[in-house]
Amino acid sequence: MIVLKDIRKVYATPSEEVIALDHVSLHIKAGQFCVLKGASGSGKSTILSLIAGLSKPNSGEVIVDGKQISKLPDTFSANFRRAHIGFIFQKFHLIPTLSVKENIIVPLIPENLTQEHMEERAQSAMEKFSIAHKASSIVKYLSGGEQQRVAIARALVNQPKIILADEPTANLDAKLSLELIAIFEMLKSEGVSIIVATHDPLFFELACVDSLIEMKNGAIIA
Amino acid sequence: MKNKINLFLVEYAINALLRRGWKHFFIVSIFTFLIFLLSSILFISDAIKLELNSTLNLLPEITLQRFVGGKQSDVPIERMDALLDIEGVSRAIPRVWGYYYFKPAGVNFSVVGIDAYEPQYKEALQSIVDTVDVKALENKHGMIVGEGVKKVLSENYYKDFFNFVTNDGRWEKVHIAGVFHSAISLEANDMILLPKKIAYEIFGMDSNHATDIVVKVSNPKEIPMVVSKINLLYPDMRTITKDDIRVSYQNIFDYKSGFFLSLFVVSAFTFFIIVYDKLSGLSAEEKKEIGILKAVGWSMDDIIKEKFYESFILSVCAFILGLCISLFFVYGLHAPLLRDIFIGYSNLKPSFDLPFSVDGGMLSLLFLLSVPIYIGATLIPTWRASILDADEVMR
Amino acid sequence: MTMTPEIIALLMLDALFLFFAIIAFVLSVRIFVKWNRHATTPVQYALEKQSYLVSVVIKYIFVLKIPLFLFFIFTCDKLSNIITGAMCAAGVVNSVEFGLYLTLFKIINLYLFGFWLIVNRADMQEEKLPFTKLKFLLFSLFFFPLVAEIGLEISFFASLNISKIVSCCGTLFSAASTSYLALLFSVDSTVIVGIFYFFAALVGVAYFLKNRLVFIFANGMFAIFAIISLIVFFSTYVYELPTHNCPFCLLQKEYYGIGYLMYSTLFIGTFFGMCGGILEELTRRSDVSFFTISIIFDGLYCVIVTLYPVVYYLNNGVWL
Ligand SMILES: Nc1ncnc2c1ncn2[C@@H]1O[C@H](COP(=O)(O)OP(=O)(O)OP(=O)(O)O)[C@@H](O)[C@H]1O
Ligand SMILES: [Mg+2]
Repeated sequence: MIVLKDIRKVYATPSEEVIALDHVSLHIKAGQFCVLKGASGSGKSTILSLIAGLSKPNSGEVIVDGKQISKLPDTFSANFRRAHIGFIFQKFHLIPTLSVKENIIVPLIPENLTQEHMEERAQSAMEKFSIAHKASSIVKYLSGGEQQRVAIARALVNQPKIILADEPTANLDAKLSLELIAIFEMLKSEGVSIIVATHDPLFFELACVDSLIEMKNGAIIA
Repeated sequence: MKNKINLFLVEYAINALLRRGWKHFFIVSIFTFLIFLLSSILFISDAIKLELNSTLNLLPEITLQRFVGGKQSDVPIERMDALLDIEGVSRAIPRVWGYYYFKPAGVNFSVVGIDAYEPQYKEALQSIVDTVDVKALENKHGMIVGEGVKKVLSENYYKDFFNFVTNDGRWEKVHIAGVFHSAISLEANDMILLPKKIAYEIFGMDSNHATDIVVKVSNPKEIPMVVSKINLLYPDMRTITKDDIRVSYQNIFDYKSGFFLSLFVVSAFTFFIIVYDKLSGLSAEEKKEIGILKAVGWSMDDIIKEKFYESFILSVCAFILGLCISLFFVYGLHAPLLRDIFIGYSNLKPSFDLPFSVDGGMLSLLFLLSVPIYIGATLIPTWRASILDADEVMR
Repeated sequence: MTMTPEIIALLMLDALFLFFAIIAFVLSVRIFVKWNRHATTPVQYALEKQSYLVSVVIKYIFVLKIPLFLFFIFTCDKLSNIITGAMCAAGVVNSVEFGLYLTLFKIINLYLFGFWLIVNRADMQEEKLPFTKLKFLLFSLFFFPLVAEIGLEISFFASLNISKIVSCCGTLFSAASTSYLALLFSVDSTVIVGIFYFFAALVGVAYFLKNRLVFIFANGMFAIFAIISLIVFFSTYVYELPTHNCPFCLLQKEYYGIGYLMYSTLFIGTFFGMCGGILEELTRRSDVSFFTISIIFDGLYCVIVTLYPVVYYLNNGVWL
């Protein structure tokens, strides 16, 4: 369960103060598939990074799974993020010069697992998204679709309960976008909460989407 | 304690270093070079100190020189008896020796006169003298020479004899009867040993005089007392004790290595700034990577640790590399160029071997002078990187 | 003023430490004054980030301070070759009036910085960061002994004079010494050794009774009497000379540098005993590992120092 209570987020740039979120409250139940839509600059990404504890609100509370994530010290919010949240970014955001497998184990490194444990988790994530055959290829030479699967495998390698996706289909063609949606549906059926921030109309009419939240100028309008 | 080293993090750090090799190449080469220079200088000066100390230990307790009108002049041998009468003096030995300038090679030889019945003033010399028959040498009109001398002479086509030009301009032909090796190579290399009689002739000295007198005192505590008695007895004699020589040598070398070290401090400071500056400028790609790492659940601590491993591995590698190059340079190649600065005697001197003098203390000194400085320079840039906002990657 | 490479290394690192310590000090004071865990202001977020810099800097200083302490003694030992009269580090340290205080400050700072680090660790292990204000207050205070140490060290090396004749450890650590050290020798050594073993036993008893305060106290006294008994009694068995009482010569090669082992075990044992104990008092949580480490290393120290006289007795059939 994700709760945002009366959140205000202001970015201070040298020239001006940008109000990214203006008293936003939001409630997303566990296991829901939620889509954030809105024009560019309306604050969608900001909400995602607040939920992940990557940035902190100027006022208000962010509560994820009962934890007030905005008040956690860095080590704890990182641990929380690692254990509960998987991120899928617009441009995949893989580390281009590492191999597929090395990219996928990046979230596991701070856990200091045993070698076998690490192998096992990486292997199962790669197999789940059928990328295992490319395990040692360098990511930057992969096709867009393969890179996308690596990004998803990395997001899911810790078996998180929440998936945050920021414009996941922006760089994908229609076929790959549909594949991604299929994966989201599968994850939803496994009980994972999914929050997608997107412009892509593809998401707006999906049957599996539980709530569609529309934003404008840092506020929720629908 | 509980948090054992995370090998995956170390692996990631090594990987990161390899991926960005070009970025570090410049820093690593400067750092390696600095360490190389520093360790070479310290190795050389330590080796010379060691060599000098072993030479010094064999030196007589007191050397007496006579000064007349401010210039050193020869000592009448009859003073020996009075000296031996002083309480505490166990032995007094007159020495006949001097430098002989060999113009064609532009070098100085030290010529030492030896005598069949007289003990030598130090053991190393004694052991050389023991191997030759001084009487036969006298009869043959021969001399024995150090390896360096032998080399210089044969380069100038003196294969088995040498013509000394004496004080009054005559030629004194002396056969080369033998060559000696010596453990204390620093001074034995340029030495010529020949019977006193010939030495007197070459230097044009009176045979009832000596160049100087060395005095042995069995109890070191009595040295100051003996010195004051000699000064009272012969006001024209200057006494030089072993300690005087030791301190002045020490000062010369500390001065020379101190000079280099202050240069080093300056370059270390400059290096600190370079590292700081270089690491502070993160490329967009690096910033993005840090953002990604944070987003997938790395804490600031993890990032600091990873960066620390990077700089630790880098600096230790550079340290080992610099050290190895310098070991090879000093002990393998005998430190061309650098050694001359330290020794700077006649051209002959440099051909001695530097005794190996690297120990744990030296290694820890070198380590402390280099690695902590590098790591110190990375602290703030590392922290700066770790606090980067992860939501940069969202845009 | 003498400039050996060792001294330059020490001074250079001192300068580096001073630079970082000043940064950490300024940040610490700021954090201590402005810290408010419940605030959601940019200032508070910035402070959180700065607190990491402080702990990084302190870790850096502490990690280097441990080997540097040994290196300092090593340097003094080496200088004793040049300085007339000095046979080991003791003579060099004592050739300047405040030499002993410098050593004392160095030891105290090791305990203080180590303590800070375990407080920091305890703080970071809790979501509420309960000791943040405390730890930055502590560093604001610990900064001063650190500066004192650095200042003393600089003036120590500046006033070292090679031509001055100093006393060797033989006269410093003997009843003939003019300083308060002589006091130690006026007490019968068996009494001191008795007290030492008493506190060693007390450490053991406190461990089994799990009495924290007694454990802290016993460790403190154990540390003090370990040093005193080492000087007046145990060292003579290391040297096998009834008149040689120096705590520094132990570090020399002739004795296989056994001193390094002795002092490290003693430091680790008493550090975890005292600082670990105080920390538990603070957190009100018991962390058995601290006490276990402490008892192991305290015990190890006892074994090492006890072995010397015992082996001597077995070999020679008499006590010194
Ligand atoms: N680090 C920052 N510094 C300054 N301003 C920022 C920062 N991050 C975001 N903003 C501003 O906050 C507002 C909301 O940004 P956000 O990234 O949440 O928008 P968005 O809805 O994700 O837009 P898009 O659809 O283009 O990704 C924008 O006006 C943006 O300029
Ligand atoms: Mg966005």
